[in-house]
Amino acid sequence: MFFNVNDVQQFQTQKDFIDTVLVPLLSLDFEEGKIKQSSSAAEFLMSLTSFIEQQFKGRLMLVPPFSYTEQTKSGLSITSLKEELNNAGFKHVLFITTDHSWTSFNEQLDILWLPSIPLEFMDSTVKKTVLEEQLKQVIPILSTKWSQS
Amino acid sequence: MSNNRVSRRQFLNYTLTGVGGFMAAGILMPMVRFAIDPALQTHAEGDFVQTSTKVADLTEEPVKVDFSYEQVDAWYKSEVTDTAWVYKEGDKIIALSPVCKHLGCTVNWNSDTAHPNQFFCACHGGRYEKTGKNVPGTPPLGPLDEYEVSEKDGFLLLGKKMANTLV
Ligand code: FES
Repeated sequence: MFFNVNDVQQFQTQKDFIDTVLVPLLSLDFEEGKIKQSSSAAEFLMSLTSFIEQQFKGRLMLVPPFSYTEQTKSGLSITSLKEELNNAGFKHVLFITTDHSWTSFNEQLDILWLPSIPLEFMDSTVKKTVLEEQLKQVIPILSTKWSQS
Repeated sequence: MSNNRVSRRQFLNYTLTGVGGFMAAGILMPMVRFAIDPALQTHAEGDFVQTSTKVADLTEEPVKVDFSYEQVDAWYKSEVTDTAWVYKEGDKIIALSPVCKHLGCTVNWNSDTAHPNQFFCACHGGRYEKTGKNVPGTPPLGPLDEYEVSEKDGFLLLGKKMANTLV
């Protein structure tokens, strides 16, 4: 499911089945030397999360990414974000990011950190293979979470 | 002369009939088009998409076949990649859509060790037989959709998605 009216309406009637939310945490860096790398990481995270969405459409909702820069990052409290999402009816809240600093929250929250892979030079078949490989890292995490419930 | 003058009543009658006619046409035209179009389009050549899979390589074991086409959504053009599960049943090629009929997750072939030789949906444990028939007692309420198939120069072509014809 995506965060659009159609899918959200479906979520409201099917909360028993759509019980997981995937939250991308996206770091943006506009500095001359880093902006390109930052856009590449954003592209990777966006492609990967929509690929995950496609596989698990019926159980997981992908929300728009929470984006921040080095300066604005401290204003983002993912602990309270998780609570709000829990209150909305999502049993499982999974954060996904290419920014390593979030792994310090790993104790209390489910943070999936993946190093970014530059997709921009790949043709669509290679890209699909790379994303499928990455997906394989996500599947066990989701299935353990789902089997707990 | 005065007989030819259009009275207020006549004028209103004419205009309203005219406008009403347009409105009726506006409503009916799309309905007629919807009703007729699919029938006309089914066999248009351009609707098939070439895949990189050779027909000779297909076996009775379903394999994933990716295919891409361009989708135009209003002003936004995008390349869509879709997948089908394709296998041979005798000489017949069968291509099934991987979209689970429960809430739309992607199903996999033979991925649940407890139920071999079935399509399995990891989301809520939905299962389908090889024909795409949903296994009663699991969440899906209908069979997997099917794709039209065709062949060109030894390669597999996939066409429109349609309701399952095997079950
Ligand atoms: S989406 Fe496949 S079983 Fe629910």
